[in-house]
Amino acid sequence: MTGRGTPSRFLQSVLQNGVGRYVCQLKRISLIFSKNAQSSLGARNFIEEGVVDFAKKNPGTVVYISPEPCRIPRIVAEYLNGTVKEEAITSKTSQQISELVTKLTDQSGLDIIRIRKPYHTDSPSIQGQWHPFTNRPPAAGVIRPPSDETSA
Amino acid sequence: MSSFSRSAQQWATFARSWFVIDARMQPPGKIATMCAIRLQGKHKPIYHALSDCGDHVVVMNTRHIALSGNKWEQKIYSSHTGYPGGFKQVTAAQLHHKDPQALVRLAVYGMLPKNLLRRTMMQRLHLFAEGELPEEIVRNLTEELPQPRIIPRALPEYTQEERDAFPRLWTPPEDFRLK
Repeated sequence: MTGRGTPSRFLQSVLQNGVGRYVCQLKRISLIFSKNAQSSLGARNFIEEGVVDFAKKNPGTVVYISPEPCRIPRIVAEYLNGTVKEEAITSKTSQQISELVTKLTDQSGLDIIRIRKPYHTDSPSIQGQWHPFTNRPPAAGVIRPPSDETSA
Repeated sequence: MSSFSRSAQQWATFARSWFVIDARMQPPGKIATMCAIRLQGKHKPIYHALSDCGDHVVVMNTRHIALSGNKWEQKIYSSHTGYPGGFKQVTAAQLHHKDPQALVRLAVYGMLPKNLLRRTMMQRLHLFAEGELPEEIVRNLTEELPQPRIIPRALPEYTQEERDAFPRLWTPPEDFRLK
């Protein structure tokens, strides 16, 4: 069912990210957990083990740790383009949370919807993309000066 | 990888070329075929119907096009103004006299696909009745397309030596009287 009804977009990158240098699009990440609840055990372990390393590794991202009484601990990720993503981490282990945080860091914040024309190659062309002067001999189609045109 | 960066490569791929065609002594239908292909972008390997990747085409000397047969008198261009009795019919010669660009424009318009992009593609067609082009258009031109028809030489364009060297079936005698 890839009908016209499902939302779709073209493959794109944010502000041509990666053409010059790469800018991590994750602006802010907040980890909301409970100090007591059983479902936050993995989150508490992750805070002890991984969160400082993550913050040191990503100086462009602000990390908030907010303990509040809740049953469902969650991660709220905010991106430079304004997207806010919320992921529940109920009963997840420290390892699983670490993977989830890495995934959120690598994403661009664009909607994850069906991509039109999802063409991809593992071996990109050596000579580069086509452009209007590819394979065109320089002698082809020389524009005559206007003086010749008027006299002809 | 080519010598320029990837964003410049992207711009180069989708850049619009400007073609120029000299329509002197050319049939408008053949000119229109070349124009319609390039206005749609069908000459590009990246063509896609939704990409709007057409090029610009400049046609000059539209006043000096050539029609074969008796088309100047026989070919009828019909239109209707929308009012009662508003059905107009003019011959090609009359229409060409009134607007020297109309024949080429109507031929190209008829060859483009009948969709919402047709008016956009027509805006990229630039017609000029004579051979002089404005400076801002000349600056953009990238390629001149070859004329589809070889222009036959008229008798005044032959030199006297060429006329004398032309093979003859028989040499008329001195006292031969032309009727």
